[in-house]
Amino acid sequence: MRKLSILMMVGMAMLLLATPAFAQGNAPATTNAYPFGYALAMAIASGLCALGQGKATAAATEALARNPGARAGIQFALILGLALIESLALYTLVIIFAK
Amino acid sequence: MPDADLNVPSTPHELEAESFYAGAYSRIVRLMVVVAAVATVGILARWGSRVGLGFALGCGIAGVNFMWIKRSVNAFADRIVKADTDKPAGGSATSFALRFGLLGAVGYVIFMSSIVSLSGLLAGLFLPVAAILLEAMYETYVALRRGL
Repeated sequence: MRKLSILMMVGMAMLLLATPAFAQGNAPATTNAYPFGYALAMAIASGLCALGQGKATAAATEALARNPGARAGIQFALILGLALIESLALYTLVIIFAK
Repeated sequence: MPDADLNVPSTPHELEAESFYAGAYSRIVRLMVVVAAVATVGILARWGSRVGLGFALGCGIAGVNFMWIKRSVNAFADRIVKADTDKPAGGSATSFALRFGLLGAVGYVIFMSSIVSLSGLLAGLFLPVAAILLEAMYETYVALRRGL
């Protein structure tokens, strides 16, 4: 039984490592899927960045309301956070244009 | 139990650290100016005027964007801390939303007209990220070197 399971595992590993034949297939059909993919990627990135900015602003607002004396530090952290979160959406835009 | 505020720096070392970290925002703004100038000159020399102008334009938009973020955050903080203020928050909210309009309009014009390089513009938009990363590296260096 143990031998059989070892053999099965080796077989599965070999199947995973097997290289498919590099035969030439038909020319790929032209599709209009790319613009849809770009729009979807940008929409996901923008939505998640908006969520992130909302959470950061909510946390900063709560912190400011609890401790107004720490305003300078909280404000600075919020500015940096918002700038860095926005850059994440820009990364997606760059990838879309670079593709 | 003493009721002294634990957050208030008291020793000279703490005061020095406080003043160092308080200057982070102005250092970032200065770094943005320096990085924009140096990188624009380098890009103009390496890739020509079209990409260089695009990069400079991107840096300008990123700078304006960063200033508007600060202004909006200031306005929001004013509203939270001074709850009895009569000043309407419409202006800051509008400028916060207008940033994306400005960016989209400039990108669209460049994309349609090809006057300057769009790649350069996109690279220039990362100016605040570069400045923040440089500031983080500087703060790490100072923290390790001077123990602040």
